[in-house]
Amino acid sequence: MDKVIVENSVEVSARDPWYSAAVAAVVIAGVFSLIVIVLLSVNHYHFKITHENRALKLEEMKLELAKTEYKEQFLADIRQFDLEIREEKLSRVKFSRTGGYLLVVALAIFFGCLKFIQNCNKKLPSPQHQSEAGPRQLLQTRQANIAVTVTVVIFVGIGLLLMVRPAIDLGSGEAVAAYPLAEQIAANWPTFRGPAGSGISTYTNIPTEWDGASGKGIVWKSEIPIGGNNSPIVWDDRVFISGGHEEKREVYCYDADSGALLWIGDVTAPAMPGADEFEEPMEDTGFAAPTMATDGKRVFAIFANGDIGAFDFNGKNLWSKNLGTPDNMYGYASSLTMYQNMVIVQYDQGMGDDGKSRLIALDGFSGRAVWEVKRMVPNSWTSPVVANIDGRDVIVTCGDPWVIAYDAATAAELWRVDCIGGDLAPSPIYAGNFVLAAEPDSRLIAIRTDGTGDVTETHIVWKTRDGIGDITSPVSDGELIFLTAGGRVTCLQLSDAVEVWEEDTDGYFMASPSLAGGRLYVLSDDGAMYILKAGREFEQLGLCELGEDCFATPAFADGRIYIRGVLNLYCIGSTE
Amino acid sequence: MIRSALLIVIAVCLLITCADAFGIQRFPPPDFETGHQLPGTTEPGARSEIFEYVDAAVLIIALSLASWLILKKRNRRWIFMLMLFSLGYFGFYREGCVCPIGAIGNFTLSVFDSDYAMPLGALIFFIAPLVFTLFFGRSFCGAVCPMGAIQDLVLVRPVKVPKGLEQALRLFAYLYLGLAVLFAATGSAFLICRYDPFVAMFRLSGSLNMLVIGACFLVVGVFIGRPYCRFVCPYGVILRQLSRLAKKRVTITPDDCIKCRLCEDSCPFGAIDEPEAPWPEEVYKQRKKTLALLIALLPVLVVLGGWVLGGMSDSTARMHASVRLAEQIYMEEAGLAQETTDPSSAFRGTGEQVADLYAEAVKIRGQFAVGGWFVGGFLGLIAGLKLIRLSVKPTREDYEADRAGCLACGRCFSYCPRDHVRIKELKAASG
Repeated sequence: MDKVIVENSVEVSARDPWYSAAVAAVVIAGVFSLIVIVLLSVNHYHFKITHENRALKLEEMKLELAKTEYKEQFLADIRQFDLEIREEKLSRVKFSRTGGYLLVVALAIFFGCLKFIQNCNKKLPSPQHQSEAGPRQLLQTRQANIAVTVTVVIFVGIGLLLMVRPAIDLGSGEAVAAYPLAEQIAANWPTFRGPAGSGISTYTNIPTEWDGASGKGIVWKSEIPIGGNNSPIVWDDRVFISGGHEEKREVYCYDADSGALLWIGDVTAPAMPGADEFEEPMEDTGFAAPTMATDGKRVFAIFANGDIGAFDFNGKNLWSKNLGTPDNMYGYASSLTMYQNMVIVQYDQGMGDDGKSRLIALDGFSGRAVWEVKRMVPNSWTSPVVANIDGRDVIVTCGDPWVIAYDAATAAELWRVDCIGGDLAPSPIYAGNFVLAAEPDSRLIAIRTDGTGDVTETHIVWKTRDGIGDITSPVSDGELIFLTAGGRVTCLQLSDAVEVWEEDTDGYFMASPSLAGGRLYVLSDDGAMYILKAGREFEQLGLCELGEDCFATPAFADGRIYIRGVLNLYCIGSTE
Repeated sequence: MIRSALLIVIAVCLLITCADAFGIQRFPPPDFETGHQLPGTTEPGARSEIFEYVDAAVLIIALSLASWLILKKRNRRWIFMLMLFSLGYFGFYREGCVCPIGAIGNFTLSVFDSDYAMPLGALIFFIAPLVFTLFFGRSFCGAVCPMGAIQDLVLVRPVKVPKGLEQALRLFAYLYLGLAVLFAATGSAFLICRYDPFVAMFRLSGSLNMLVIGACFLVVGVFIGRPYCRFVCPYGVILRQLSRLAKKRVTITPDDCIKCRLCEDSCPFGAIDEPEAPWPEEVYKQRKKTLALLIALLPVLVVLGGWVLGGMSDSTARMHASVRLAEQIYMEEAGLAQETTDPSSAFRGTGEQVADLYAEAVKIRGQFAVGGWFVGGFLGLIAGLKLIRLSVKPTREDYEADRAGCLACGRCFSYCPRDHVRIKELKAASG
């Protein structure tokens, strides 16, 4: 190679010392670039592998933390290990960045010199003999036609594939209903005392005869691994209850048809170092007094120490958290309820003026708080109910001394009435056009629901002292109210609280009464179900013995009753 | 060709690993309850507004200089120097933003969304190269575009792309432009900016994916001149059409073509068209029939394109964050999602109604369906016109720089003996 022409006719000799230098630089820069690439790759993948292992180890250490006795030392070890991982990470990143800069410089030299060499080697253009232009151009044009056509066909083909690809129908009613519809809720028993916490089943084919001793009318009976006082909830073919003691808090899912225990969900959270010392609840309350809730896709359970968890219907834990140890003298017992995709937690605790009580709405899927309202009330044991009042979904709560209604969508307070006090356990109901709230062993109050603000002076319709118990909640069919107190059952007229009848039984009622098919079901603590006519005349239609103590309110489904005994869960129904 | 392809594959593999350099994930913050307050997110202060106009002024000066160098001076060396300056200034110093290519998204959104005001600087960046192209050809591509410059620098061993393949690959740029406009018009994404293959290199930071894609373009660019510019750049699509109308543009020869054929292999971008031989009579008759058929088929192609892209709206609408969120929420609600995402968790924290989100997503899908018809129709029209153009009777008699495809790099100047004569005459005239 002697002389070559470069751009604008500047002549450069290929034997120029710069040429040799450029060749050497290309080789050196190329080799250097390769080495940097290899080192960067090794750095990246080696760290990726080791980091995953160390991250796993760190997670294991965190889980171990709950079990170890020497928490402070172990915590220090975890922090040290965590620090080491971070330091290594930063060191690796620095290595990568430095390598990246070196690589850019090396590649710039590589390509710069390569272009210089290319310029030095540039040859004079020497057009080669070509085939005749006409046929060649025709062939090229034909090839271009084919290529363009094939490309268009490929585009259209891909487009058609994407067109027929199934898409999520966001416009359908099913998609819009991200939470159960009212009809679905009515057909199930998703919360404490069923839909709207009313204690009323929409089914009329509820059993009236069974006997625990002979097994008559008992579809199945399944053992409960860990006890609790919460009531069963039912959705389609699944029955859920929870159980707990100091060491463990669990959720149980049973097959509604066979009684098989399908899965157990563990909600036990590891004890947090530095967390408030938890005072054990009263034995009568226990760790698992709050009834669970479901939206038909997920179930939620809360326990006396503030552990709350969510599971899907296959038992997969969606989220678990602790809301903070509740300051509650008998043990936390308020049941969960649902509004659309939100789990409503009435977290009343403390003395009232300490601002500890809250009404919390958690997103069912993620467990994140959607809204939270402070309540200046002390600890209580009542459960919130969500009722549709005058076309609006309202959360009604009881907490000494207030009955408070909140807009379920916005958490805005609608109205409040100063009318109840003491250690509140009975839950409110909405019946007729009234909210009924009970003060234990003292009085029942009917409140009109069209007020705003403090309506204590204007919206109390009546108060009565007849038939009020200390734990159980009332039930009403819109015309009559049925109450239990000890072993007594009382029927009042809803419009004016005039007593219709009152009868004593041999039972003692811890479970709240329920209505189904025009019958009143009242479960005694010895497992005897009193079935009474829900009418103006007292009439006992049946008395069914289960043979096991029962403290929880039963759940009702299509042709079935689910009763929780202290040891077993029963399904009552037709055995044929 | 096979050897070159093999080299490309090996080099791409090497550069993929090299792109790891800046692609390592950030480390998550600690999760101990130690009372340590994590510092809040901070953002760098906005760049002074004056620099926006400085950038615009630099762009206009660069375009003017480029046009002068290309059309008057016809000097590749100075064009190359200006290209290096542009790479340094618009690329590494300004980190590839604002660039006229990405400004397509801003411009489109400002047209379709009355709440969005396009910054004046971005508007100048979008319009100035178009105006210069209309008068002087693609001087922007030749010497001012940093993306073109970085590809130009790595072009070492150019390989000729067959004409048919070149024509077909160019359709990708039209498709990319159409989708970029569709996504910007619906407020979904600035597609061009999001998938800018070189911006991560200019910033020496970016996602691993984009670094890899950029590296692939450069590796391919070692053998195939400016692959992004020729087969992907959506701004290039617009410039191509304006360049056809340009009053002045690059010519290989400064005066008359002597058909010496010295220039025919000088362009690494396949932008030199040779004289066309007249068609034989039978070919001419056949092409006339084909032409008539294609003209008749043109409306069919337009409707087909519109129908396909409009019908894909459920898929294309996924580029919109609200649609993706609605689908994720739906999957979560239906128990089909394995886990939540950050957007879905954030949405649930807002307390907004799922039904409202679904309604918004359905509305956006509708916008994509309508927009898809227009963009698909446009693509069908382009494909049809391309086929028609291939069936039009040839008229070119000289070696010419492709009116649309010439990137104005000036490589061909020194290959023309007439240009050497011109230079000699100029030297003689200047003593």
